[in-house]
Amino acid sequence: MLPEKRLLTPDDMKLWEESPTRAHFTKFIIDLAESVKGHENSQYKEPISESINSMMNLLSQIKDITQKHPVIKDADSSRFGKVEFRDFYDEVSRNSRKILRSEFPSLTDEQLEQLSIYLDESWGNKRRIDYGSGHELNFMCLLYGLYSYGIFNLSNDSTNLVLKVFIEYLKIMRILETKYWLEPAGSHGVWGLDDYHFLPFLFGAFQLTTHKHLKPISIHNNELVEMFAHRYLYFGCIAFINKVKSSASLRWHSPMLDDISGVKTWSKVAEGMIKMYKAEVLSKLPIMQHFYFSEFLPCPDGVSPPRGHIHDGTDKDDECNFEGHVHTTWGDCCGIKLPSAIAATEMNKKHHKPIPFD
Amino acid sequence: MDMEIDDPMHGSDEDQLSPTLDEDMNSDDGKNNTKARSNDEDTDEELEDFNFKPGSSGIADHKSSKPLKLTNTNINQLDQWIEHLSKCEPLSEDDVARLCKMAVDVLQFEENVKPINVPVTICGDVHGQFHDLLELFKIGGPCPDTNYLFMGDYVDRGYYSVETVSYLVAMKVRYPHRITILRGNHESRQITQVYGFYDECLRKYGSANVWKMFTDLFDYFPVTALVDNKIFCLHGGLSPMIETIDQVRDLNRIQEVPHEGPMCDLLWSDPDDRGGWGISPRGAGFTFGQDISEQFNHTNDLSLIARAHQLVMEGYSWSHQQNVVTIFSAPNYCYRCGNQAAIMEVDENHNRQFLQYDPSVRPGEPTVTRKTPDYFL
Repeated sequence: MLPEKRLLTPDDMKLWEESPTRAHFTKFIIDLAESVKGHENSQYKEPISESINSMMNLLSQIKDITQKHPVIKDADSSRFGKVEFRDFYDEVSRNSRKILRSEFPSLTDEQLEQLSIYLDESWGNKRRIDYGSGHELNFMCLLYGLYSYGIFNLSNDSTNLVLKVFIEYLKIMRILETKYWLEPAGSHGVWGLDDYHFLPFLFGAFQLTTHKHLKPISIHNNELVEMFAHRYLYFGCIAFINKVKSSASLRWHSPMLDDISGVKTWSKVAEGMIKMYKAEVLSKLPIMQHFYFSEFLPCPDGVSPPRGHIHDGTDKDDECNFEGHVHTTWGDCCGIKLPSAIAATEMNKKHHKPIPFD
Repeated sequence: MDMEIDDPMHGSDEDQLSPTLDEDMNSDDGKNNTKARSNDEDTDEELEDFNFKPGSSGIADHKSSKPLKLTNTNINQLDQWIEHLSKCEPLSEDDVARLCKMAVDVLQFEENVKPINVPVTICGDVHGQFHDLLELFKIGGPCPDTNYLFMGDYVDRGYYSVETVSYLVAMKVRYPHRITILRGNHESRQITQVYGFYDECLRKYGSANVWKMFTDLFDYFPVTALVDNKIFCLHGGLSPMIETIDQVRDLNRIQEVPHEGPMCDLLWSDPDDRGGWGISPRGAGFTFGQDISEQFNHTNDLSLIARAHQLVMEGYSWSHQQNVVTIFSAPNYCYRCGNQAAIMEVDENHNRQFLQYDPSVRPGEPTVTRKTPDYFL
């Protein structure tokens, strides 16, 4: 059984929120966060384990793919994301099992099959050409899966999973975000933390909990932000936001971050980030409706059945709910004529439909 | 004592106004008079249901059977609110409740296809960018001297959705025949819980009551407008279930935006380079090709479909060989898109002119004090 999306209704969400799967996954995130308390980005653990080096090699292969698909088409197209992102996405998904196998030869074919979907979906949505905290979550599920399969040992690897692996992932995402103009998926606009990411703020807050001089309010000091951007994830994110947001100060374009900057200690910020991640990512149906359950992230009993469509790399199961319908190309199926569109609507009425994305 | 009267520009609209609610609908509404609960636990419970009950704010209780009359008292109150809001200061919760009740008694009488005369200035998404909305009125001319048609998406993403939607609703009530406000896909309970308006109301008012009031009011917004029977205006686009404008008139619009069906499509669809109907990547609505828009315009004797819903870099963009125009009125959207905004002026002779504008210059630092989010207490 391949990983599947299962969460569709508020009742599904309740089952998920009470499930051991969510508890175990949340603990994984918290363990990683705790492991970077007091660590600057460069203070990763040495010697670096073989499994961390393998993961870094995997990310290096992904990074190589980003170099191979330059933006050529209309730079001023109205839909903001560049279509060449799809070429990047296709190349990753065509090669994901091979890439995983080359770096982690001990994995079985079944394990590769389970993991590769999370690798495919770590970089953004192919169809919408967007990226958000749900895709970031997929990457963390990939790491969790590798941990479940015995590749990573948390007592040895947790710090480096953040300071080497996650930071490298973030660097790659910055390339993709700026090169392909990925749209923010499910953006709250000014009322979210960031257009794209959540976890760098969470991990970054934990890094800073023991800092003697930097305070949450320090994010308003541009000199400090530039000075510490490469040393702490939180300040790196603030620097990126200052760079891409124009015409206004942090107080205008990021009121949530401004509000959080009024918190007195980084410990409180770190604690709050965990609560906020649980509430705003792991408990939000618009994000969790895209969550893949798998062998290592088992779905709780009683949740809605699968949407009748396995992952085929295009995420079209959100857009077309025909059960068992075979997809080939756009024109063959989803470019349907009027009568079929009515049929599609009639079919949709028989299923709970995902919350639309705007 | 002289009383200022808002005279319609072209004859009486009386004949064109008709209630869209039938008796059964009124009966159903009568059962839905639950008062909003302010208890945090109850609010959490409701939030967990992802389904705030329509009507729970009470603003549509005791709806009038006749359109709101602008008495001297009403006019003074509205002018006061408009003056207050133009400084970008939100109304009190009580004033929001009063405003929304008045607005229900204006909007419930508007048709699904609101008839509009030229001249009119047509505007796209605003998304809570209040200072840019004021810039829009500077560029286009003040209302009521200029007639306006807004095609939805007043809330979400921007910092000032509360001030923006309050201002536009107050202007609508004050000058009902000079400004038309249509519903966008973001004027919805489900969408505003995701994309920011709910968060903003909680932050600015300390509870979800104002959010409930506005989302209940959104149900009464008209979904389309027809300018001189020639320009069809709506937020999103066409529906495979709608071939004629009369079919829009027949819809029951007073409900939460459904996930599928013709009303959903009108607020969610997008034009596409590909012909025919397509499944929308948004997960609601459809994409439609030039063949579809040409046929719709021909069938309904239209010259143009004007719509919003999509960011376009110059603020406006033609598609389908000038059968469809997209208008977007939130400059530098989300502080990152670097786009211009635009509005479209249509004069007495149906000449169209696009006015483009950039973000307004921000007045220093925001005046709001920091408020620690609950997660960090």
